[in-house]
Amino acid sequence: MKALVVDDSAVMRKVLIGALARANITDVAQAADGKEAVEAVMNDEFGLVLMDWNMPNMLGIDAVREIRAKGKTVPIIMVTTEAEKTRVIDALKAGANNYIIKPFEPATIVTKIQDVLSKVSGQ
Amino acid sequence: MKVEYINPFIQSVCDLFDTMLSSKATRCGVGLANGGLNTRDIVAIIGLSGEARGMVALSFPTQTALAMVGRMLGTELHIVDETVYDGLAELVNMVAGSSKAKFASFVSTPIELSLPTVIRGSDFSVNHPSKATWLDVPFTSDLGTFNLRVTFELNRVKGVTV
Repeated sequence: MKALVVDDSAVMRKVLIGALARANITDVAQAADGKEAVEAVMNDEFGLVLMDWNMPNMLGIDAVREIRAKGKTVPIIMVTTEAEKTRVIDALKAGANNYIIKPFEPATIVTKIQDVLSKVSGQ
Repeated sequence: MKVEYINPFIQSVCDLFDTMLSSKATRCGVGLANGGLNTRDIVAIIGLSGEARGMVALSFPTQTALAMVGRMLGTELHIVDETVYDGLAELVNMVAGSSKAKFASFVSTPIELSLPTVIRGSDFSVNHPSKATWLDVPFTSDLGTFNLRVTFELNRVKGVTV
């Protein structure tokens, strides 16, 4: 299964790639903003997307909306510093499957990834 | 800036160390930040806007900056490069993001974050709206010393302009 990590911070992308490896996901592509993420999702088949919120060019929340509007059902987990409940609700309404607030413990993100993937595979 | 406003920012720094840095940060006091931001080798700054306005800065000696970003990545870093700048930007982003959520009950819409900026060197000054007060919080940790500096004002409290 191939995953897409979307974050404007290269360091955070490395952290998330490390977390994905702990969940036995090692085939990972990267994008640095929402626009790149939409293009990547339209041009490749991903089993999971980890999406930041605040990025240049296109916000992560807008990328989620666009990906869903284009009919893609890939599981998307928001991974963001935006911790307000209203933000979480907005993301879920936009089509995100789950939400992880930065900063996080590595174990937390592995559990959420596994949780989302097991729910999707059970559908 | 009301002194009590600093507490969510201090808590966010401690949470950052507890989670992503697997470490502990200890606050060494709170005081007025006389002399601006340029007291350390590297400063990471991010702006807050919307129903609040302010800035959050983390300033580091070089060794602390290398140690903190290295801990995030699980490696040792020896030179300050783009990776270190990127990591410091993400650290201040996480502190500001976590802090602003703690003010959610005081605002009708979430406070917005700017994209972070990292400055290396001490020959600079930062200007902010007049009468802005910066608070300075020195920290110690096993990754080194650093300072949190914050200026923060709520423009509106529960729909009432103050």
